[in-house]
Amino acid sequence: MSTLTEVRIAAVGDIHLGEDVRGEYRKRLEGIEERADVLMLAGDLTRHGTLEEGRVVADELRDLPVPVVAVLGNHDYHSDLQHEIAGELRDAGVMVLDDDGVVIECGGTKLGVVGGKGFGGGFAGKCASEFGEREIKDFVAHTRYIAESWKLALKETQADRRVVLSHYSPIKETLEGEPLEIYPFLGSYLLAEAVDTAGADLILHGHAHKGTEKGLTPGGIRVRNVALPVLGKAYAVYCLECGE
Amino acid sequence: MEAPQYVAARIQQAMAEDARTHELGIHVDVRGDQLFLRGQVSGNDQRVRLGEVAHEVAPDLKMHNEIKVVVVNEPGEDEHLD
Ligand SMILES: [Fe+2]
Ligand SMILES: [Fe+2]
Repeated sequence: MSTLTEVRIAAVGDIHLGEDVRGEYRKRLEGIEERADVLMLAGDLTRHGTLEEGRVVADELRDLPVPVVAVLGNHDYHSDLQHEIAGELRDAGVMVLDDDGVVIECGGTKLGVVGGKGFGGGFAGKCASEFGEREIKDFVAHTRYIAESWKLALKETQADRRVVLSHYSPIKETLEGEPLEIYPFLGSYLLAEAVDTAGADLILHGHAHKGTEKGLTPGGIRVRNVALPVLGKAYAVYCLECGE
Repeated sequence: MEAPQYVAARIQQAMAEDARTHELGIHVDVRGDQLFLRGQVSGNDQRVRLGEVAHEVAPDLKMHNEIKVVVVNEPGEDEHLD
């Protein structure tokens, strides 16, 4: 137990908290330090992205005995208060990623976490491209910009293990269960391509409530959809080996 | 009479856009004069509000609110990635 040979990552997304469930999720986080070394939140922490909901989330996560890293989801952007919500979370001690990265010390291991909300566009062969109307080009360009930022952040992150934390999905396997028609709004292969190029040990995402937990990028990186309704439990724990 | 698919689409849109709910993942079925709501939400209040929004859009339909409240269970087994 003294020398850490693995990093235990607790992860969940889409907790969608509001005033009516204040205190409930916190109860489920009791004893998390026995089970995990870090908690990662994959966005959609609120329902409507209001500041009041943001404060509920911040209170639920305040002063946890393990480091907490989060990204926001589309719901957290709905009221155009994403910066304020991120501010509330940071005040509560949560590291909020916005297309950048952090390195956390877990036992003797340096764990790098890179990511952000991500965005949609669809999957190779069945996706939008930067062509035609300005609105479509902007949509695709937004995803492209995010993917580039992650690639850069991953390359700059010096760590023993690296995890990508996103809200939108990088692959379609973990969307299985969702209607095919909405796949382009659930994620983009550009995210997977960027991570495959730069390299990582694990990708976590949420957003697809009816999706499937486990998948793999074309480059062989493990992907886990940790949306709360998919997991059916407070959080999942993934152990990454950090052997000599 | 309006086709049931359009009624269902309007209800779904209302649930997504109404400030009381903003819920995107609810499945809506209209069969005759019956309205069925299915899906998962994080609290009972949200379930009730969704029923209200749906009812306001289609007050003449008999509603069956089958939306489930997700029970946040204790974390289970770890997965070891090697
Ligand atoms: Fe969500
Ligand atoms: Fe989402």
